[in-house]
Amino acid sequence: MRFKHSIKTAYRGLEQNRARSLLTILGIVIGVTAIILVMSLGQGAQDLILDQVKGMGTRTIIVGGGREPAGVSDAGQIFSDSLKKRDMEALERKENTPSVKYVMPLVFGVADAGYANDTFNLTIYGVSSLMEKIFDMPMKTGAFFTEEDVRARAKYVVIGNKVKNELFGADDALGKIIKMKGHNFRVVGVLSERGQDFFNFDEAAIIPYTTAQDYVLGIKHFNRFITEAASEALINDAAEEIKLTLRESHDLTGTAKDDFFVVTQVDLAGRLSSITSVLTIFLAAVAAISLIVGGIGIMNIMLVSVTERTKEIGLRKALGATYKNILTQFLLEAVMLTGMGGLVGILLGAFLSWAIATTITNFTNIAWTFTFPVSAAILGIVVSGGIGLIFGLYPARTAANKSPIDALRYE
Amino acid sequence: MPLIEINNLTKVYVNEEVETPVLHGVSFSINRGEFVAIMGPSGSGKSTLLHVLGFLDSYTDGSFLFEGKEASTYAGDATASIRNKKLGFIFQSFNLLAHASVFENVRLPLFYSDIPESEWEKRVNDAIEIVGLSHRTDFDVTRLSGGEKQRVAIARALVCNPEVIFADEPTGNLDSKSGGAIMQTLQELNEKHGHTIILITHETYTAEHARRIIRIKDGLVESDEEVTERRHTNGGILMK
Repeated sequence: MRFKHSIKTAYRGLEQNRARSLLTILGIVIGVTAIILVMSLGQGAQDLILDQVKGMGTRTIIVGGGREPAGVSDAGQIFSDSLKKRDMEALERKENTPSVKYVMPLVFGVADAGYANDTFNLTIYGVSSLMEKIFDMPMKTGAFFTEEDVRARAKYVVIGNKVKNELFGADDALGKIIKMKGHNFRVVGVLSERGQDFFNFDEAAIIPYTTAQDYVLGIKHFNRFITEAASEALINDAAEEIKLTLRESHDLTGTAKDDFFVVTQVDLAGRLSSITSVLTIFLAAVAAISLIVGGIGIMNIMLVSVTERTKEIGLRKALGATYKNILTQFLLEAVMLTGMGGLVGILLGAFLSWAIATTITNFTNIAWTFTFPVSAAILGIVVSGGIGLIFGLYPARTAANKSPIDALRYE
Repeated sequence: MPLIEINNLTKVYVNEEVETPVLHGVSFSINRGEFVAIMGPSGSGKSTLLHVLGFLDSYTDGSFLFEGKEASTYAGDATASIRNKKLGFIFQSFNLLAHASVFENVRLPLFYSDIPESEWEKRVNDAIEIVGLSHRTDFDVTRLSGGEKQRVAIARALVCNPEVIFADEPTGNLDSKSGGAIMQTLQELNEKHGHTIILITHETYTAEHARRIIRIKDGLVESDEEVTERRHTNGGILMK
């Protein structure tokens, strides 16, 4: 029997029970839709996170105090106050770090900011004036504080767009005084709205790091150094130079473990994307359970169908159909059913994730992008077809094994 | 060489270790071009005999030579191939594919044959013409009368140009007029086209359309004789 005719025969078989066929594939449709949805949204989330990380600048290298814990028992060895003023001076010396262009200290904490009767809980970032050079920081009004202001421990603040809106509404914020941790800060600049980004500057107050250390946080160390390599090609060199410089500065020799960590933007992107990938795969695996349930439904219905069509099977055998012919016919019916279910599921899943992406983009300021997960779509078709093959095999064998006379006698 | 030669053929059904003998040692031979009726009351074993001769069931003992070759040497797909190429079946209950046209029903055996697809259409149309249903080629078979349905089944049995046509109570579900027309068609196939026909029936009246009647009773051949006064049909009406 030619394959073309097997397909036609299988199609006719399904067509004669259209309503049943449609209900049968529902399980597969739902399963594949869920998988496509999860994979597409997972990809969207990953793109979003990577976009934010990339927004930090591709040449950015972050140095943190303490060591990234390798496990729970390791936590005691973390010295988060290990980055000191002399480390900064060491990193700034060109002979130590020829590949590093900028070194900016960063301290942070949370505080309530008050103006008149309004308060707003925000993140305080203490930085130097290099901030503007490392990050792209367009100002809505005013200007960034200068290196002079940093040295003078000026109580100047640049506020994010949301902070401005919460505290001042439509009023002009420039030159006004806001209160944080009992100190008065003069607003010297308001940032343009940034949308979702890694540091969430919209809800932040940016002040000189000196002021932050002495008046607001009461600390002597730095939380991070934000550094920038001279060029993208020099990122790894720069990271290596930073490590060597800090080890020397901290008197670490031989096998002594680092009490700091250095993360490039590429490292960070890789790490975050592996987290989202694992989550996506986990969720897709949960969704895949419904495919198995759908497959069992198909097997059940196929068995009913084989019994109902006992006479037809007997007739076909009497007319010369072989074991293989009958097996192929019923397997194809199962595979066509699940394949169609897979196809509908892919389209439905793609449509739903597109709708969700569009809704998110339109109703929030998050730039969520819709990605059609081609690999998931191929996987969906292959898996749903495979489910048809696996769960169709038993009913098809039952059909093919029927003896022609028993089948012809069946009423 | 006879087309079919059976010698001391026995068939015992074994069901849950209970043995039910159905054929106790049947012997006869049928030559090409014969029109034989196998007769017997229900339970006589005539249907079992048809199933064995039609390669639909196995036999327990004895020998069954088809074209000089022992039938038990064919196995699995080989029996499917014999059924497709050499045998045609007509059943009491027609056994047509519902919701398919006359053309599609008659074409069905060709799906399982090695006849090139280019010949299919001509073969199907020729077979439909022989049974006189050319004007119904594209009709859905559910719209046909009983007699027409059986004609479709005959055309389907003819389409692969078989050596033997087995007709199992072909008039059992039909009124006497359509039944008579079917018997006329079978006689024509035998006389004009030279097909060997083996008819299974329990009615003497129908059996007398054949040239020879083999009577089976309790799994044995009771008699095997030529029909002296053969019935013929005239314009579809049976003449007594």
